[in-house]
Amino acid sequence: MDRRKFIKDSALASSLFFVPSFVKAFESVAAAQLGYKRLVIVQLAGGNDGLNTIIPHNNDIYYNARPRLAITKDIIKLNDDLGFHSSLSPLRALYDNGELSILNNVGYPNPVRSHFRSMDIWQTASDSDEYLQSGWLGRYLDAHGKKPYNAIEMDEQLSLAMKGEHFNGIATNDYKVLYRTAKDPYFKNVLNHYNDAHLSEHNLGYLYQTLIEAKSSAKYIYENTKVRLSQQEYPQNKFAKQLKNVAQFINSGLETKVFYTSLGGFDTHANQQNKQARLLKQYAESVSAFVKDLKQNGTFNDTLILTFSEFGRRVKQNAANGTDHGAANNVFIIGKNLKKAGFYNSLASLSDLDTNGDLKYEIDFRSVYATVLSKWMNVSTEGIINSKQKTLNFI
Amino acid sequence: MNQKELQHLYWRAGFGMLPKVYTANSKSRKDVVDALFVNSKAISPIHIDLSYLDGINPMDFKKYPSLAKEINEKNIKSILELNYKWIEQLIQPKEVLRERMTLFWANHFVCRDRNPKYAQQYNNTLRYYALGDFRAFVKAISKEAAMLRYLNGKQNRKHKPNENFARELMELFTLGEGQYSEKDIKESARAFTGYNHDFEGNFRLREFQHDNESKTFLGHIGKFDGDDIIDIILENKQCALFISDKIYRYFVNPVPNKNHIEAMADVFFKDYNIENLIRFVFMSDWFYDEVNIGAKIKSPIEFLVGMANTIPVEFENKKDLIKIQKLLGQTLLDPPNVAGWKGDKAWIDANTIMVRLKLASLLFNNAVISLKEHGDFNDSFREKYFKRSKDKLPFKTLPNWEAFLDNFNSIETENLHEYIIQGNLNKGTADYLESLSKKSKQDYCIQLMSLPEYQMC
Repeated sequence: MDRRKFIKDSALASSLFFVPSFVKAFESVAAAQLGYKRLVIVQLAGGNDGLNTIIPHNNDIYYNARPRLAITKDIIKLNDDLGFHSSLSPLRALYDNGELSILNNVGYPNPVRSHFRSMDIWQTASDSDEYLQSGWLGRYLDAHGKKPYNAIEMDEQLSLAMKGEHFNGIATNDYKVLYRTAKDPYFKNVLNHYNDAHLSEHNLGYLYQTLIEAKSSAKYIYENTKVRLSQQEYPQNKFAKQLKNVAQFINSGLETKVFYTSLGGFDTHANQQNKQARLLKQYAESVSAFVKDLKQNGTFNDTLILTFSEFGRRVKQNAANGTDHGAANNVFIIGKNLKKAGFYNSLASLSDLDTNGDLKYEIDFRSVYATVLSKWMNVSTEGIINSKQKTLNFI
Repeated sequence: MNQKELQHLYWRAGFGMLPKVYTANSKSRKDVVDALFVNSKAISPIHIDLSYLDGINPMDFKKYPSLAKEINEKNIKSILELNYKWIEQLIQPKEVLRERMTLFWANHFVCRDRNPKYAQQYNNTLRYYALGDFRAFVKAISKEAAMLRYLNGKQNRKHKPNENFARELMELFTLGEGQYSEKDIKESARAFTGYNHDFEGNFRLREFQHDNESKTFLGHIGKFDGDDIIDIILENKQCALFISDKIYRYFVNPVPNKNHIEAMADVFFKDYNIENLIRFVFMSDWFYDEVNIGAKIKSPIEFLVGMANTIPVEFENKKDLIKIQKLLGQTLLDPPNVAGWKGDKAWIDANTIMVRLKLASLLFNNAVISLKEHGDFNDSFREKYFKRSKDKLPFKTLPNWEAFLDNFNSIETENLHEYIIQGNLNKGTADYLESLSKKSKQDYCIQLMSLPEYQMC
């Protein structure tokens, strides 16, 4: 549905006039938005097999451990040791331009091999024996968020990562639907009559306050998002659509610091080869289109993209031509002016594995978060990352 | 008891009540509370059809990968089935207080298992002990297959202790943070070594993996096993206080009152009898204080079950129930981690508040919240618009309005808010409701259910 038709429909639906404030939205954002740093999270759910993503193409142990699963063909060799899976070819240009930094062996002490729990650990930035009820980005919002739209998840509901102790982001996989929901005239009437100077002091006030903010956030996103903007072609899949919407928001100059996206299906216990190749292709093509889109609009300089998965997979393949849950894995950082592009560190030993036969971690994922917070978002990690973490030098 | 007190009690001990039940009006508080307990004496365990697991043993999975795959797919469906069954049981409870307590304990002894057999058994254990002896309850939980899997109890062995369960036993289940040392965790973990379960889910102590040596725990020394550890924990009044605090925040008010909680702990510490503790709460004058009525933000399940109690509804597609739980932020049997759902204000974010305020109209009225004011009959084109979009509605439901009209037959439409809303309406909102047409009891009910006030109980 195009915007004109949509306005007509919603006006009909509500018998209310809708006055678009496009004027504001079409103002040049470049000047005002310069230096407004944004973070885009890409979550690869299911545990991506890092060893078949960034391939140790010169390592006999790798080939011996995976007699039928090791990648032998079409590896995009990046140095003497490591190379891309052929599906990652769209990212080659980023690598060559120094816009991609690959952190190897990222994990945490006493790794958990349950998807559910390990994702929980990554989202809350907890220790493996600690249980937190707020996410790391949520705690960032607690300290620095002003409006729910400061952090947007491209989904129907919020992940724990985006929920703070007392402040949350907003989720939407379709901002027009969000807007239409928020502008139900009944809510408007109720809010117009609502009178209480003590909002948010008690629970009922908090509900009204949240409703007011939800409405204004939905309105803000709708009115400030420019519709015909992108000239960039994206692949046809759900993940690409998420990134396309993120680009639309960023290029429209929304005051959103954090975007959260997700691509699932990486739990490749059986017949991994084609499945992973297809997913990595979706990932790489979509991210490549996204970066081009940002570059065309001059917003890439102020955007950092962090890709992670809850764990890597076992070095040794299993009997079903797949791999089982592992531990440490690679993390991708994409952005302009990276301090250390290419490979941030080399791959951990494939002979010195933990007792499960998994890669040992070298970089704590929370030090990646801490680095992003302090060096990119320019905020203190205090209250956001609970454990003491050193900062790294990739940005 | 007056209507207001009854309603308050029933929203906390159950999920609201129908005006039909108000004939109890003249009864004393003691009679009403006694009846709650008497009616929850029995136990109705949940049973889903798991016959496809009969005669299967763990070796089969290794031998026949295709069987393993098939069973796995059936297990995923069974977990959904268990979720529907549980929600059904909450909506149509035979033992309302027991079901309410079961829901409470599920977010205390938090556990998640994707094996439907163990998940069902765990859920029924919660139900069995819900109003019973807390001591026996904790001991039973420590031996549940689902818990042994969830917190790595079965990996806890003599020469390779795993502290996960011991830590959470104290931090989340009994004492609260800071009441014990790291040494206490290590020592108590040793006492639980060798705990395991068989394929059917029965507890098995693997003697050769159990550490029989002496342990030093919270100032006691002895060759303790897991049950001994739990006994020692319960000797500490802090445990009674910790549980009382949690019960108070859940059943009375999210803002704790130290005096009331200490009075509860005095009662609970005597014998750790859960029924006595809950009875003490429901019999206390302070439970019915104005400040406690409507003070609590409904959890998604309280919200959903409460609505379905008022307006019986059938879901044509059961999967919609899962979808709704997800959108509201609480899927039964699928807690975020062992700390459970945070609750209270954490239920509410920009997304969930909108879903909540829209849900009644989506489930019961094709997404329409009537805007008709007194003498206003020109809303028809709006209704037509929504009728056209009926096929696009996210959920397919069959609301039973006849049952609603029958249940609320004795209530004048103008007074309906007194029965649907707990606590006070905001003044401005009340004025707005005043201006609305009260021609249709159904419309007014939906309007009320679409208010922030309806989120409170």
